Amino acid sequence: MRAPTLILRLAVRNLFRQKRRTVLTATVVVVGIGLLVLGEAVIAGSEDNIVVSAIDALVGHVQARPADYPTQPMQHPVDKLLTIDAPTTAWLNQHTVAWTGRQLFTPTLIFGGEGLRVRAFGYDPVRDAKVFPRDLWKVRGRQPDPVKDEILVSRGVAKLLDIQPGDRLVLQTRTHLGAMNALEVQVAGIVATTQTVLDSMSVLLPLPLSARLLDSAQPTHLSLRFASRDLAPAAKVELARLLGRQATVVTWQDETRELVELVGTKKGAMQLMVAILMLLAGFGIANTLLMAAYERVREVGTLRALGLTEGGVVALFVVEGGLVGVMGSLVGVAWGGALSLYWQVHPMELAATEAMGANLPMSSLLYTRFDPWSLFAAAVFGVAVAMVASILPARTAARAAPADAVRAE
Amino acid sequence: MAICELHGVTKTYGTGATRVDAIQVIDLIIEAGEFTVLSGPSGSGKTTLLNQVGCLDAPSEGELLLDGRSTRGLTSRQLSHLRGEKIGFIFQSFNLIPVLTATENVELALQLAGRSDGAHEAALAMLPQVGLGGLEHRRPNELSGGQQQRVAIARALVKKPLLVIADEPTANLDSANGEQVLSLMQELNESLGITFLFSTHDPRVLAHARRVIYLEDGRVVRDEVRQPPATRRRQSGTRPSGEVA
Repeated sequence: MRAPTLILRLAVRNLFRQKRRTVLTATVVVVGIGLLVLGEAVIAGSEDNIVVSAIDALVGHVQARPADYPTQPMQHPVDKLLTIDAPTTAWLNQHTVAWTGRQLFTPTLIFGGEGLRVRAFGYDPVRDAKVFPRDLWKVRGRQPDPVKDEILVSRGVAKLLDIQPGDRLVLQTRTHLGAMNALEVQVAGIVATTQTVLDSMSVLLPLPLSARLLDSAQPTHLSLRFASRDLAPAAKVELARLLGRQATVVTWQDETRELVELVGTKKGAMQLMVAILMLLAGFGIANTLLMAAYERVREVGTLRALGLTEGGVVALFVVEGGLVGVMGSLVGVAWGGALSLYWQVHPMELAATEAMGANLPMSSLLYTRFDPWSLFAAAVFGVAVAMVASILPARTAARAAPADAVRAE
Repeated sequence: MAICELHGVTKTYGTGATRVDAIQVIDLIIEAGEFTVLSGPSGSGKTTLLNQVGCLDAPSEGELLLDGRSTRGLTSRQLSHLRGEKIGFIFQSFNLIPVLTATENVELALQLAGRSDGAHEAALAMLPQVGLGGLEHRRPNELSGGQQQRVAIARALVKKPLLVIADEPTANLDSANGEQVLSLMQELNESLGITFLFSTHDPRVLAHARRVIYLEDGRVVRDEVRQPPATRRRQSGTRPSGEVA
């Protein structure tokens, strides 16, 4: 093609002839591309959130629980407990970074004449924190004393029943043999862990206390942590062999797969929304350039008379559209990328997660996952949409007969 | 030497009842170095004929030869290249590109002729020759009508074309500017030997013409070869004159 630099120069200057029109057209691209970048970062962050929450709060890298144990919320039967024999203990000590047993059950919490079914986590005060980090835990009051009948109450339960540290309440449950049992306990502290499941309808009590309530020290859940989460699948096989038919063994991947897939469908919805927005942007660009094509008939005719080919005219308009795409995409990836980067360091607080899904295993702190490659891909997408949208007006401009066009008013 | 030959060129628009024969069976030869005017009333076919000669439009019948080469069957792309390389255009409304400076408008013609190397320098050198020294960086809206037409003349001439086609070049200029522009074109015609073909109603242009071709109803009715006083003195009869084909 002749005069490529000239075409570029003309295209750049033509953009600034109708500044307001150009800015308005580019704005839709800015919004679309910014949302695409941010949406990708939020979705990727949500996937991370689900995985990290599962690993750091509920599952660990690998988890064993009694066979046929129901996974539905608020159903934690204690009629079957795990038996961990000596070879299993030896294997656990040798192959894991840390492991711990938990007792999950659903007692009724009675306070101030009100009864509330809660999810109880009986934990080993020494081992539990090594498998499930507590860096983000905030306790108003203090940690329970394992030798006293003290518990931590989650923020959600405390708010619902107006419980304060120091209050006394009753936990009533059935033992693992089915007999009724109840204990009066003191609230040592109100805990906020950022993990929605723990923060909603839960109480946390040291294992000696939960063992007294269930009349057994055997765990319902056994959670393992390794040096790398990639070791989980192999460990699952070995642990399943050691525990035999009494247990179902799962990895963090097994436990998060469905939710991650659900997030994946949200990603599809987000991409559809962005696609619609970019379609509108494409129409905007096509409309703007079509107006320009009609306004500049004589100019295009002159260029044709001076030797510019039809292909050259098409190139001129496509470059103009492409430049709108470049400007819009650059600003779009700038704001989308900046917010993604900011929320990657300073997480969003998802206050709605507690109200929405007490059983949604997610952290209320959502970190976005900033991916520089997504910026590039989004920018390329924006420019491509703009260039494709320019083809029709470009062909319209190129089709004008030069003999008529040079004398057009 | 003939640089442009029209053999039985006819241009027809529409069909059936709406058919209009804009020009009919035109036979014409334009020799190198001519300063020729197409004259005639509105609708006589001047612009249509210029469009044929300038390869802006294709004849319905007949054949056009430019520099001895037939334009029949050339593609749109080939015609574009032919225009870019061999033909300069000067329009009634100047037709400068508003977003480019005077220099860039001139440079444009060279770039589209495929002569990008040294185009900027050539454009800068051309503008003083048309009396626009010091105005190189002005855009068309910062120039008067006469200055804009001078830029257009520079743009047409900078690539040393085979033929310059000027469609009513003085129609949008006052008499002083029109006279200056005509004198400039005649001067360049004489000094560079570039062939000019005008269409005009303007008697001032007719006064400068060395050959006048009269059109009526799409036909050549008279072809008058003459020597205006200034040219005749300078040429002393050595320049070629046009003739009826």
